Amino acid sequence: MGLFILRRSGVMILTALCLTFIVFFLTNLFPNLEKLAKTQGNFRMSDEAVISWLTKEGYMQPLPVKYGQWLGVLPGWTLETEDGVTGRCIDGTADAATAADAPRFCGILQGDWGYSTVFKDDVSTIIATRLGLTGKLMFWVLVLMIPSALLVGVLAGMREGSVTDRTLSTFSIITTATPEYVSGVIFIAVFASSAVGLKWFKGTATSAMENANFENFFLPVLTISLYGMGYIARMTRASMTEVMTAQYIRTARLKGVSFPNIVLKHALRNALIAPFTVIMLQFPWLLNGVVIVETLFNYKGFGWTLVQAAGNNDIELLLAVSVVSVIVVLVTQLISDIGYVYLNPRIRIS
Amino acid sequence: MTEPTLDQKPVHWAAKMHAREYNEGKLSRREFLTRATSLGLTASAAYGLIGLPAPAQAQASAQDGGVLRVQMSVRPLKDPRTYDWSEMGNQTRGTLEYLVEYNSDGSFRGMLLESWEINEDATQYTLNLRQGVKWNNGDDFTAEDVVRNIERWCEKDAEGNSMAGRFATMIDESTGKAMDGAIEVVDDHTVRLNLPTSDISLIAGMSDYPAAIVHSTYQNDDFTQNVGTGPYLLTELEVGVKCTLERNTDHTWWGTEVYGGPYLDRIEYIDFGTDPSAWMAALESEEVDMLHESVGEFIEVLDGLGFVKSEIPTASTIVVRPNQLAEVNGMRPYADKRVRQAIQMAVDNAVCLELGYSNLGRPAENHHVAPMHPEYAELPPQQVDPAAAKALMEEAGMLDFEHELMSIDDDWRKNTCDAVAAQLRDAGFKVKRTVLPGSTFWNDWTKYPFSATNWNHRPLGVQIHALAYKSGEAWNEFGWENAEFDALLADALKLADADQRREVMAKMEALIQEEGVTVQPYWRSLYRHMREGLVGTDMHIAFEHHHYKWGFAA
Repeated sequence: MGLFILRRSGVMILTALCLTFIVFFLTNLFPNLEKLAKTQGNFRMSDEAVISWLTKEGYMQPLPVKYGQWLGVLPGWTLETEDGVTGRCIDGTADAATAADAPRFCGILQGDWGYSTVFKDDVSTIIATRLGLTGKLMFWVLVLMIPSALLVGVLAGMREGSVTDRTLSTFSIITTATPEYVSGVIFIAVFASSAVGLKWFKGTATSAMENANFENFFLPVLTISLYGMGYIARMTRASMTEVMTAQYIRTARLKGVSFPNIVLKHALRNALIAPFTVIMLQFPWLLNGVVIVETLFNYKGFGWTLVQAAGNNDIELLLAVSVVSVIVVLVTQLISDIGYVYLNPRIRIS
Repeated sequence: MTEPTLDQKPVHWAAKMHAREYNEGKLSRREFLTRATSLGLTASAAYGLIGLPAPAQAQASAQDGGVLRVQMSVRPLKDPRTYDWSEMGNQTRGTLEYLVEYNSDGSFRGMLLESWEINEDATQYTLNLRQGVKWNNGDDFTAEDVVRNIERWCEKDAEGNSMAGRFATMIDESTGKAMDGAIEVVDDHTVRLNLPTSDISLIAGMSDYPAAIVHSTYQNDDFTQNVGTGPYLLTELEVGVKCTLERNTDHTWWGTEVYGGPYLDRIEYIDFGTDPSAWMAALESEEVDMLHESVGEFIEVLDGLGFVKSEIPTASTIVVRPNQLAEVNGMRPYADKRVRQAIQMAVDNAVCLELGYSNLGRPAENHHVAPMHPEYAELPPQQVDPAAAKALMEEAGMLDFEHELMSIDDDWRKNTCDAVAAQLRDAGFKVKRTVLPGSTFWNDWTKYPFSATNWNHRPLGVQIHALAYKSGEAWNEFGWENAEFDALLADALKLADADQRREVMAKMEALIQEEGVTVQPYWRSLYRHMREGLVGTDMHIAFEHHHYKWGFAA
């Protein structure tokens, strides 16, 4: 078991390395650097000014060197100018003595995630704040999505082919077939705008960042949960119908156990094994949905940060976002694998 | 208000003439007020001339205190002289003030300057600083501060310093800094600028958003720590998210005695991205009290939802112009004045406004000077007469010529050209429309034989004429070369006094119309929607936010 976790962690680090290198490579293509120079400096910069700016900021070094510096395995660049010394590990311009005292390495291995060029702040602070906000959104999504999905799935799977089954199945197919950018817009139009006139909720979740309540937070939560809910409900239904046709259920019925008891005591536990994996695998999908929903509802969390970082070629922020995403995806898969062992004694991890 | 005019001089004769016109019903009240105040009358004196009581000033009814939330994109800040978005100026305007304030009626009024004098040929500016202004760290605001800031503006080598362009007249080409002796300290509260050539646009330049006045301790690292003279402090700046200005209670602001205010305790700018539907959702969900700007189809929707609308006409416009030098099939179709006049005569500007820009503006008069320009001179209205236009075109022998009207592929510019083309066809001319994608349109925009270009608002009418109507200028897309006009323009550019300049401008405007230089159909307006109960928050002609005027109605 220990070895399994260790191997999974190894895979995770390797994936993170590969992915960040790809992101690093793409964001460091010259046209992207040129765009960065122009947004940071001035839109009417000449080509020479762009090169001089990039050189001054250390962007003109070879790609592997820059990547090594970002990781913290190579010493950060320094540049001596008339006014003093600038460098990756030095804030602003410092004199020679201060520069000598500055750490030589400053990459993620040293805990330095870098500086965001768009938000003018430390990447670690931005990621922490934004991830916290998305965590809040995710929590409420799970609170809404999992119980309702399981309920719908179990109810539908109890009696295959019944009216309840058909109705609930149709409902879950519709919700899972509607992407967030469609359902979100429909919800805003119906429940938040004067077009329909209901105005039950607010069409934007900006104030929910500080002070979330049912009125300003329900629509984004609903939009993300509905999409995942249909999928989980379908899986639960499939699993439930299979269990309900098993031999031991028939035996229980024959010996006269009441139907609610069969469902709750005999079927449910076995039927929930498959949905557990599906739920854990939903996490990466939720990250995906969060990008759309946060932009749509103007909720400034992790997904919104990704959009801003990508739109402005904010290299270090984008890299941090990729690292966090890789960790989220692989950790949830690890949990799902381990949890599976505990739920289903027939499976062993050796 | 005891004195009738801003500078204590006698009332201008033209103001009395306009008052007569108002009484005869030739002018609307609004039009009269614009003209009279631009002639130097105070608003209450202007009302007095037409026998109406001045309305109680909106400001007076603002209550003290309150938090105003405004939708606006929150941008990263940098050195003010390199600002490239008016939003940046709004984020710091509460703290870092300006020497001069530009107002929506086209007038300038002193902020940190109490007044200014400009000599006969606009080569010497005397700036009189306001007495008793203090920085919020307790320092006195003196001539030293003004000199330091103007020197900063003149540093041509500073990366991205756009103020250097506005102050180009006084920059020494060889050093890239202000010329020796150009900035002169007369006494503690007087600064004199000595220019080598005439330049009447410096006051306008001082009011523009990159011209924020900074303290000697100014730094770019943490904008919440900067010392300023203003009534508010920038307390929170989260780029792309939020920006908060809080009333500085430890600081006595000079303006309270002079202009009144500030009223609000706090102003919060909240970023709702670039999608106007998100702005609308924010206003509708009561997440904000006011928008920075309402655009396009949302203006009508927001009207329908019952929000308060503030409209301000600007001098942003479009010109649909022939190029007189352009050759088509070996001849120059638009070199003949009669052809150009015929085109102008066949086009009704009001129709262009309605079809091209959904009536979100005001009709213009084909001479590219707008009523809010200080030197605007009113000319008799032009006649729209398709029949006479056809006769004129026939006389020029060009009725069979097929005009090719080119435009960029976008919404309003394309629609306006379509409206022009349709009216030309109605008059009996042959017109072909060509729509070019935005990526290729600008490559040759000055050289197309017949096409449309949009022009931004500039505070002075002569600025646009100097850029685009003077012979041989790079942006002279009309291919118009007229020695008489150039001479008049050279005169006008030396007259700092708007009244004197207006006399010359009347001739220039008439000349542009007479020569049929261009169809310049309308002025675009800017709009802002807000909830009810706000005062002093009208849309500003250059997107500026004057925080000290803002408040909630008492």
